[in-house]
Order: sequence, then structure tokens, then C-alpha cells
Amino acid sequence: MSYGSTIKVPFGPQHPALKEPEHFLFKIDGDIIVNVKPRIGYNHRGIEKAFERRTYIQNIYLAERICGICSDAHTTCYVQAIEDLLGVEAPPRARYIRVIVAELERIHSHSLWLGIAAHEIGFDTLFMHLWRDREAVMDILELISGNRVHYAMNTIGGVRRDIVSETIPKVIGSLDFLEKRTKYYMKVLRSEPTVLKRTVDIGVLKPEDAVELCAVGPTLRASGVKNDVRRDDPYAAYDEIPFNIVTDDGCDVFSRILVRCGEILESINMIRYALDHMPSGMLRVRVPMVVKPGEAVSRVEAPRGELIHYVKSNGSTRPERYKVRSPTLANIPALCKMLIGQHVADIPIILAGIDPCFACMDRLVFVDVKTNKKKALDFESFRKIVRKRHELL
Amino acid sequence: MRREDKIVAEIRERLKEKIITVEVPRERRIFAYIKLEALKESIKFLKDMGFKHLSTITGVDMEDGIELIYHLALDGSIELSLRLKVQKDDPRVPTITDIIPGAVLYEREVHDMFGVNFEGHPDLSPLILPEKWPRNIYPLRKKYALERLRNLIFKEEDIE
Amino acid sequence: MAIIVEAIKHLFKRPATLRYPFEKEAPPKGFRGRPIWDMHRCVGCGLCSRMCPSGAIEMIGRGHEARIKHYVDRCLFCGQCSESCPRNAIRLMNDFEHASYSRDSMIYEYKRES
Ligand code: SF4
Ligand code: SF4
Repeated sequence: MSYGSTIKVPFGPQHPALKEPEHFLFKIDGDIIVNVKPRIGYNHRGIEKAFERRTYIQNIYLAERICGICSDAHTTCYVQAIEDLLGVEAPPRARYIRVIVAELERIHSHSLWLGIAAHEIGFDTLFMHLWRDREAVMDILELISGNRVHYAMNTIGGVRRDIVSETIPKVIGSLDFLEKRTKYYMKVLRSEPTVLKRTVDIGVLKPEDAVELCAVGPTLRASGVKNDVRRDDPYAAYDEIPFNIVTDDGCDVFSRILVRCGEILESINMIRYALDHMPSGMLRVRVPMVVKPGEAVSRVEAPRGELIHYVKSNGSTRPERYKVRSPTLANIPALCKMLIGQHVADIPIILAGIDPCFACMDRLVFVDVKTNKKKALDFESFRKIVRKRHELL
Repeated sequence: MRREDKIVAEIRERLKEKIITVEVPRERRIFAYIKLEALKESIKFLKDMGFKHLSTITGVDMEDGIELIYHLALDGSIELSLRLKVQKDDPRVPTITDIIPGAVLYEREVHDMFGVNFEGHPDLSPLILPEKWPRNIYPLRKKYALERLRNLIFKEEDIE
Repeated sequence: MAIIVEAIKHLFKRPATLRYPFEKEAPPKGFRGRPIWDMHRCVGCGLCSRMCPSGAIEMIGRGHEARIKHYVDRCLFCGQCSESCPRNAIRLMNDFEHASYSRDSMIYEYKRES
């Protein structure tokens, strides 16, 4: 059914899901989205330029601050690129510790996302419970690294801190708790009609489109494509730790939920294995301050998908060029594809479905193409529209 | 023969004199340097070979031009960096969005930051830079040191 | 339905949050808080100030007479300074409440007492 005219709906730059700004211009026909135009950059801090002005050691902490949620993924990627340039390799124990911290981070990121998804579909009880249990993994991360958010574990040539034997029982205890809780939440998510009604068959991304549009991470895996940098391009100790790649062929938001839940369970097992098989030995090798000219490409599977860093050095203490491509950017073309043909009310959950690293909706402006009148809507009134539509269902 | 060497041999055979250098610095990494006119052709046959995933496009400001590096991945494992050089004033490259639709945003990003024109791209409006950003100023070119950009931003705010 | 049972159960449980600032949880061992300088150990080499990623350390003078100014408002609590110090003069403390109304009160000065 067509209403004959399309209406443009700018969405953002403030946004509903996470706490970063992003702007989408939707063209809608009635209640159906016919076109999407993304506009990013509201949070552009010029980090690539800043990399060129800092020394290699200082840049570790800059890389960490690209993102607050996948801070460890960014530093791992950074130090690997520099290690590649220097021709050194982190000692085995350091590589295991990197895996443990990376997987803990994945658990924390995925449970954060699950909470947000629950909140987005108006299921705040689940959101509260999920975030309370997420504290368990935050506490272990703080215990291991000394900080809840910026772990500062990686350094060029290894890791900075050891995981001492006294903390291991506590880590194992928390993992058992998390495993129990995640299994319970999976049961809830599978049986709760609120979740099923809002997520099944919403935001469908067909496997061919996912590959064509270069989607990455859980978004790609939820479309049934078995692709994971940890297996395909192993780094750290991933080639020594057995794990399954979780996929689902539902291609919708619900599959994305299932894939992330499955990955939490997979990560818990990987950490258990890594703690058991962690070799003893050195934590880091000494590296020079000056890096010889060259270039390197480094890839890491961040919680949101493939993260790629490119570095070019010129033989001084600072890089010549540093390039970062975070997984969210890679998923935006795919996101635009999944939004087309959907209802306006489903925008928040589809947007949140790729686990974007931006966002926070504040207001919406509806523009009627004919009269060119703008109607600003705040978050609450938008929510009301959403709720009303779902009462009708 | 390693997988990497097989791919390198195939690239050499297909591109012949259009290729400048190819090297394999380590396992699962290939760097190929090609001539500008061979871009579309190479992306096409690389896609047929299985390099379906474009990780990103990097721009690098060199003294004698702008280097574009297309990072392509083979089923997620081998990362091939296809590099070519364009001249600095009025840089032009054909778009690859018709072959790999996922390149849309990466091309816009490079366009914003380096001023490279991707001919045939559906929409090259600013992606990252603000609408009021002055034309002909490309923040990631070496010429624009941070101090210069800072002053520029302050001036913009004064106008408002 | 499963979640309703869970929610009702929680009516009878202790709250998961603390009434901060009245109740506080001590940070775990190894917490990365504010760095402090032991000026009896410091030889004034300036390495900490050069390595600091955020420019939070200012050195005035060199050698034993050097004064060190630490700007907590810029500090990232990364601990790189304490890692780089050849004399182990920098230790990370446990405190995390640094908020203040003025920047001046966030500057800590260290000087060797003779
Ligand atoms: S902890 Fe880090 S940011 Fe703070 S003073 Fe030391 S080196 Fe600088
Ligand atoms: S690195 Fe250590 S010895 Fe050198 S100036 Fe800093 S505190 Fe003093």
C-alpha cells in the first residue's frame, strides 16, 4: 500500500540506543521506510591525526580511548600492528592473558548490548537484571586490570600485568555465576512473548546482502555466515584455544540476540580453558622506542566484529599514518539495508540490533515534503508512537 | 606452495605489467602495488577469486601523491592490501561501489579526509565533516597541521 | 513468565546497589588510582613526564632540585609513569574521588625535602 507521497524523517543526531550521536535521514511512505541516509561524524575526534603526534607508547593509551566498551580490542589491534612492524612477538603467557581479557570484554559488551536491546523493546525488568549481573564480569576485569573500563593491559611486546593465582578462583566463581545466569536469560528470551513479538522477522538481512555489504561480526554471523577473525586470522592465542563460531540463520534481530548469548557462553568456556592451560613465563619483551620504516595491517575480532588498524611508520618515534576502522562503520551499509521496508516503530531496535557504538536519541524532526514543515518530537513522544503501534498488534 | 604464493602468482599472471610490486610480509598478509588504471579490473577478478569482503579503504598522504589502500579479505583469512597512487591536485579514481556495494561509506570517508574524487559514486556528500567545513581543506593531508585546523575551527564558530 | 517469578523473588532480596556516597566499596588490590611521588627516590630524570600520554606531569628543573607538578584533571590513571620510572618513585594510590569545583585544587606538587 502506498500513500503517494514520501516524508523525510531526520533521526538524530541524538539517538535512542547507546550514548553517542548519529544522524539518519529516513524517507518514509506512511509508516514504511523506503530509504535511509546515514550521516556520521558527530563524534569525530580526529584520533587518526592525533596518532601522528604521539609516541608509540603514548598511542597505546590513545588507542584505548577510541572506544570505552571495546577498549581492549583496540589496544590489542594497535600493539599487534606495532609488534608486526618491530618483528617481535608477545611471549606465550602474554598471549593467553590477552585472550582472557578480550573474552571477558566480549562478555561484558554482549551483556551490555542485551540489556540495551531489552530496554529498546520496552522490557526494562530484563534490562535491570542483565545489567546487575553484568557487574560480576566488570568486577573481575577490575580485579585483573585495576580499572573497570580502561584495562590498560596491553603494551607493545606483551602485557603489563599478570593474572595471579589468587584471583583465579574468584574469576572461575564469577564465570560459573555468569554461565548460570546467561542460560537462564536465554530461556527467558526464547519464551517471553514481548521479546519474540518485537524481534522475530524484524530487520532481516539476507546472507547474500550481508556479504555484499561487507557486514562484520555478530551481525554477519546472525545471517548464517561463518566468519570470525579469531578463527580465520588467528592472533594472540586463539589458534591454541578450541571454540565454536556461533551462527544462526534467522537473519533477524532475534537471531542477533541468540548469537550474542551463544557467544557469551562460548567465551566463558574459552576463558576456563585459557586459565587452565596458561603457560608460565615472561609477560613482555623489551622493545625499542624507535620503529623502523614499514607498514602493517592488524585485525582483531572486537565484540562488534572485525576491527582493522593500518599503520605506516617512517623510522621515528611516531607513526606516519594510522588508520582505524571500527566494526560499526562496516555495519552501517548493512543496517541501512535492513531498515528498508520496516516500520518506523521498529527503528530503535533495528539500530540497536547491530550493537552500534554511537547513539542516544533525544529528538526527532519530521519533515513533510509538501509543506516543508518541521515537527520536532522528543524521545518520549516518539516512544508513545512506538508503544501505540504495539498495542494495536 | 603456500596459499599466499598461489594468490600472488595468480595476481601476477592476471595483471602482468599493470602491477608494480607484490610482497608477502608475513602469513596471511599480501601487499600489492598496482597502476591506477588497473583498479576496477583487479577488484573485479579479486572478487571472483573470493576476496569478497572489503575491510576498509585507507588514504595516505605521500610526498608525491595520495596513496589509496584497499584492504580486501579472502573469506576473512588472507588480507590483501591493494595499493595505488593518485596525483595530489585534483585526484580522481573510479568508484568500486558497483562491484562491492559495501565500499560506499569508505569512499565517502576518504573523500572527506583527502579530497579524492570517486568518479561514479552515487553520493559524495560529507559523511564525517560538518556541512560548513570549508572546501579544499582536507584534514588528514599532511599540509594541514593540527594548529592550522584548530584555528580554522575557531574561526568557523566565530561566524555563527 | 519466567521473569515474573524472578522479579518477585527479588522483592525479598538485598538491593544490588550501594547508597553511595554514604556507603562505599573499597577498590580491589591493584586498583589504578592517583599516582603519588616519593621524592626521596626521584632523581629528576624526567622520564615520567616524557612518557605520560596526556601531559599530566610537569617537571620544573632537573635533578634532585626538580619539582613535579601533577595535574589530576588530565591524568588517565594509566600507570605508565610508574612503570617507566627507573627509580620506582611513583606509586598508584587507591583513591578515586577527584571531582572538584576548581582546577587549581587538582594540582599536586612534589618537592624533595632536605
Ligand atoms: S597515570 Fe598515566 S596519565 Fe596519569 S600521570 Fe601517570 S602516565 Fe600520566
Ligand atoms: S621517572 Fe621517576 S626518577 Fe625520573 S623524574 Fe619521574 S619520578 Fe623522578
